[in-house]
Amino acid sequence: MKTVRIWFKKTGAARFISHLDLNRCMARAVHMAKIPLWYTQGFNPHAFITFALPLSLGMTGERESMDMKIDETKITNEEILFRLNKALPGDLRVFAVTEPKLKPGKIAFASYTLCMEPETGSVCQLRKEWEQFLSQEKIITEKKSKSGMLTIDIKPDIRDMQIREENGKLVSDCILPAGSEYNVNPSLLVEAFRKETDQDFYCEYIRHGLYDASMRNFE
Amino acid sequence: MNPQLEKIWMKVQKPGRYTGGELNSVIKNKEEVDIRFAFCFPDTYEVGMSHLGMKILYGVLNDMEGVWCERVFAPWIDMEEELRSAGIDLYALESGDSLSLFDIIGFTLQYELSYTNVLNMLELAGIPLLCSERKGLEHLVVAGGPCACNPEPLADFVDLFFLGEGEEVDCELIELYREYKKKKGRKEDFLREAAKIPGVYVPSLYHVSYQEDGTIQAIEPEQGVPSKITKRVMMDLDSIYFPDRFVVPYLDIVHNRAVAEVLRGCIRGCRFCQAGFIYRPFREKSVSTIDKQCRDLCENTGYDEISLSSLSTSDHRNLNPLLDQLLTWTKDEKIGVSLPSLRVDNFSTDMMSKIKTVRRSGLTFAPEAGTQRLRNVINKNVTEEQLMKTVETAFRGGWNSVKLYFMIGLPTETMEDIEGIAELGQKVVDAFYTNPDKPKGKGVSVTVSASGFVPKPFTPFQWEPQDTVEMFREKQKHLVNCVKSRKLSCNYHEAVVSFLEGVFARGDRRLGKVLLEAHRLGCRFDGWNDCFSYTKWMQAFENCGVDPAFYANRRRSFDEILPWDHLDYGVTKEFLIRECKKAYANETSPNCAESCSACGAACFKGGICVEDRKNLV
Repeated sequence: MKTVRIWFKKTGAARFISHLDLNRCMARAVHMAKIPLWYTQGFNPHAFITFALPLSLGMTGERESMDMKIDETKITNEEILFRLNKALPGDLRVFAVTEPKLKPGKIAFASYTLCMEPETGSVCQLRKEWEQFLSQEKIITEKKSKSGMLTIDIKPDIRDMQIREENGKLVSDCILPAGSEYNVNPSLLVEAFRKETDQDFYCEYIRHGLYDASMRNFE
Repeated sequence: MNPQLEKIWMKVQKPGRYTGGELNSVIKNKEEVDIRFAFCFPDTYEVGMSHLGMKILYGVLNDMEGVWCERVFAPWIDMEEELRSAGIDLYALESGDSLSLFDIIGFTLQYELSYTNVLNMLELAGIPLLCSERKGLEHLVVAGGPCACNPEPLADFVDLFFLGEGEEVDCELIELYREYKKKKGRKEDFLREAAKIPGVYVPSLYHVSYQEDGTIQAIEPEQGVPSKITKRVMMDLDSIYFPDRFVVPYLDIVHNRAVAEVLRGCIRGCRFCQAGFIYRPFREKSVSTIDKQCRDLCENTGYDEISLSSLSTSDHRNLNPLLDQLLTWTKDEKIGVSLPSLRVDNFSTDMMSKIKTVRRSGLTFAPEAGTQRLRNVINKNVTEEQLMKTVETAFRGGWNSVKLYFMIGLPTETMEDIEGIAELGQKVVDAFYTNPDKPKGKGVSVTVSASGFVPKPFTPFQWEPQDTVEMFREKQKHLVNCVKSRKLSCNYHEAVVSFLEGVFARGDRRLGKVLLEAHRLGCRFDGWNDCFSYTKWMQAFENCGVDPAFYANRRRSFDEILPWDHLDYGVTKEFLIRECKKAYANETSPNCAESCSACGAACFKGGICVEDRKNLV
């Protein structure tokens, strides 16, 4: 028995499925691909499939991962990749199967691209307001937590913000805290901005990668 | 897909309903397609995607060269609002193309309360609602399904109906359409030709006249058009098409599992049940066919549950061998087998041990009526003794939750019969406590669920008046008052919903304008409590000067011409009259496996009608 980490992209239509539905979808694919899963030995055996960090509904995931326990004597990593891709819908693509190096609990940061497309006004204007918004001393926003709504300042959380214009869109790359300890969803930032600006815009989110506290790639 | 759509998906609940892209959905190259068919289910994605008929026809049509069949569902209220405000047409899930780009728009009619959704879906794609406003061959609107057995309320909107099973007739119609599209033929000529295909009903070629009292005077076909349209039936279930894969939804839908069809028709002949008559004759699939189809489905979908579906699966004479055969491989592959419905009279713990879902969800039985007299009237041949024996077996087997289905408003019903429902429920509760092996420390929960009876076409009760809303409510109240134990809970359906269903089930063409008016007033998703508006519907009837009670609450005489008299489902009117008279005399009829009641379905020359009955009982 060993644990393998399955790396996949969640794009297109698959972006619009919730974490719970993704779970079900993956379980079906694993079943259909006849991956020799290792089952818990208890009274009610069940498979071990865990996801590193859930992705919000609507976001594209470029480097998502899930771990499962398999019987490695019966299948190679290449075979897992091949069979899973045959069993998955087109918008969920596995691109690597590796041995896990970091535990999902070590995840501390995630990198994102935010593509804002103005519905009214110009990109130029949106950029000006966005930069102004980001340069404030504090960015106060409300965040849901287990103990109710929290009011927090997320300004210190924003790292490596890089802004550019591309095909009529305002594109920002940044790194935000992520993981089970403290997570800042990029939509918090964008929705806080939406309240400040008069411009109407549509925002698309892409999550690229995950990192540990010392910014080592989550592998 | 339209990039605008993504923005909309972000704003609505459950966007997975609208994105498409599921495993096994069929994408074709438009260059190689000359007929585009939109298969429309006039309800939500979760309901429509659970429907086996749609999966079968999706496969049949996409197997045809040059034909691309796509799926369209009714958008929920929030999505409809977003589509309308963004000015985007209702679209098909495979291509994302507007419904208005399709050659043929096909609806499946599963229940009367989905009719307003049919109109709403057409409107959401800017397609004219009335047949008479759709002049060209494009946007041919067709429909099939059980409600097509009385399609008259939709006659103004649907160009043609398919009667019976669609596997062959749909393809024949598409080939004819292709011919007319190629030669740029006229719609009128096409419809005239289509009417000659057995099982195709073109309402515009039949003229209905009415008498002064509102009943039908005559239904007259135009020249050269058959005077009776007979439904299509597939006789050999082992050789007909069955999909080896389903589109697997991302979302959790109502029935999210592989579904194998084990038989068609039903031997029982319960007098209230339309399905029991319109799907005759009873035909079975062989164990080896079902086994193979189950394997293929699991192989291609990844589902870990198979449901053995039909009107009455436990009537399959080889059910036990089938379960044993399935268990030879499902166990290793961690696949569970489930039965959708159980009969009171052939329940056994042995069978239950082979089945998965029952243990999870508790047991459900349908005695349908509270007293033996009334069960005889409706020909539900289940005795109290059998029910008690069954629940005792179940209680001994460790179950402690039982749900019992009943109907209220059945013909000849008295308040005594209503009391009988509560009494029967109480007896089931008592049976639990008198059981010496009852599980320790566990209570019992018995639910009686009472729905309002809706008389349906092609049943022995097609002439019966439906109870009025007031009568339903009085009976519901009485039922609740009769329940004495806290272990027994009781629920019932909205009487006004059953009433509207009753109006449309036996309605005629004059209801077309009411439908249009209800649609204009904003009625849709009438089958959903959160959308149904009785006030709007009553407004629609009033605005059109149509009395709904004429359709729901009036007793018809045996010699009245009924709106569906020109449609032939095999069962004869003589048989239905015989059955109706037997009902009044509290007499039962044998089931098809016991002996033949000469219903007329033998005209299809197959299934149980031609088999040796000795082997069946």
